[in-house]
Amino acid sequence: MNDGKETGPLTNAPAFDDMETAMLRALRLADPALSRFDPMRRIISHDDFARGHCGWSQLVGNYEDTLDTMLPGYAQHTSAMLSTLGHWDAGSHGGVDSSYALKIATRPRPGAQNVAIKRLTMRERCPIRFEAFVTFKPEATELKLSEADVRSFGFLFDLQGGDEDGPIDRVMPHMRFLNAADGKHLQKWQFKPETTKFTAIGDSDKTASHYHLAPDGWKDLPGGAQRLCYNEIATKVNWTYLRFDFDLAEMKALSFRCNDREFDMSGFEPIRIPAMKNLWCMLNVCLFAETDVAKRAFLYVDSVCISGDF
Amino acid sequence: MLSENFTAILARNEDWSAVATTEPYEAGWAREAVIFVRTLKEPQGPQPKAIVELSPDGIRWLPEGSLLQLPETKDGIAMARIAHFGNWLRLRAVFDDGASSTVIVTLHLKS
Repeated sequence: MNDGKETGPLTNAPAFDDMETAMLRALRLADPALSRFDPMRRIISHDDFARGHCGWSQLVGNYEDTLDTMLPGYAQHTSAMLSTLGHWDAGSHGGVDSSYALKIATRPRPGAQNVAIKRLTMRERCPIRFEAFVTFKPEATELKLSEADVRSFGFLFDLQGGDEDGPIDRVMPHMRFLNAADGKHLQKWQFKPETTKFTAIGDSDKTASHYHLAPDGWKDLPGGAQRLCYNEIATKVNWTYLRFDFDLAEMKALSFRCNDREFDMSGFEPIRIPAMKNLWCMLNVCLFAETDVAKRAFLYVDSVCISGDF
Repeated sequence: MLSENFTAILARNEDWSAVATTEPYEAGWAREAVIFVRTLKEPQGPQPKAIVELSPDGIRWLPEGSLLQLPETKDGIAMARIAHFGNWLRLRAVFDDGASSTVIVTLHLKS
């Protein structure tokens, strides 16, 4: 969070001062839509999903000439939807303070995943903050608690510096809450330091693809066990607060909070791969859900605020 | 204020045979919908009429009443207009033995 002092060589943003910092804080605390967030100086996007999908679209895989060249991990993805969390037994649950949330739904087969993405670019190499209110549930097809049916939910950034930055990497910090695996209720945060190998797509040497959400390669975040509020039947939900800070200059995670828990990120590593020739200044943010059983998993996103210290 | 509209991809490059359905889609914010089906490859065998379905909960389904004749050639397009559908929508098709089609199904919603 900016402290009123200039923190780096921000080339596209005016310097800020103590008065601005105090005014921003007061204005945001007085705004019911923003008061539950703690954004950095500049709000890049604030999505409440009461105004449509707010730029969160389906993560589609790469292809060339035919859709058959798309990797299966991507081919399974479908479009996110706007939901009031309508349940067969209790009707619409609604969001934190509006009717709608973004819903990311998997297909009903073990290990199925779905991903929603917001695609931006960056104008400053500075700390950015991702905040969201989310909740997850399996489809309520059984009159059971089903607390171990959702395998995981999580988020990731897909980042690459500018075309004149010299030798750089494409950097992809991944974080997931591993709720369960093979029926075991595990409840812990994990990160992913490595992706799968790249596959050439088509024969023009212009496109390649890698399914970075493949199930292998996740590592436990040290001290990352956390029991979340799941509630007592499959159709009761509670919203959970997430906050993740990442420095676009050092390409390093700075902090992570989920509700009341602040986690030590010193052991966190993002995926690093060589820079790609068409992705300069990319700033993508993804949210994903994964099911552990033959039942759809739903990640609901009430709201997202992405901000930057510039 | 401009009215909201959204294009959702319900199925992309999916091989349909036997009993095929799109994943359930929630669209309660929209007053009208159009479903398009485009065949990406040459369909095999007789092509059925697909059925637009509604649901109270995304789990249990029944026919909305609209039928959509699946195209009989590659790159054929079929369409159905839907209104007063509540919240949940999906498309279902039942193929004869040996019949199939590779489809992209898109849903176009407007508030």
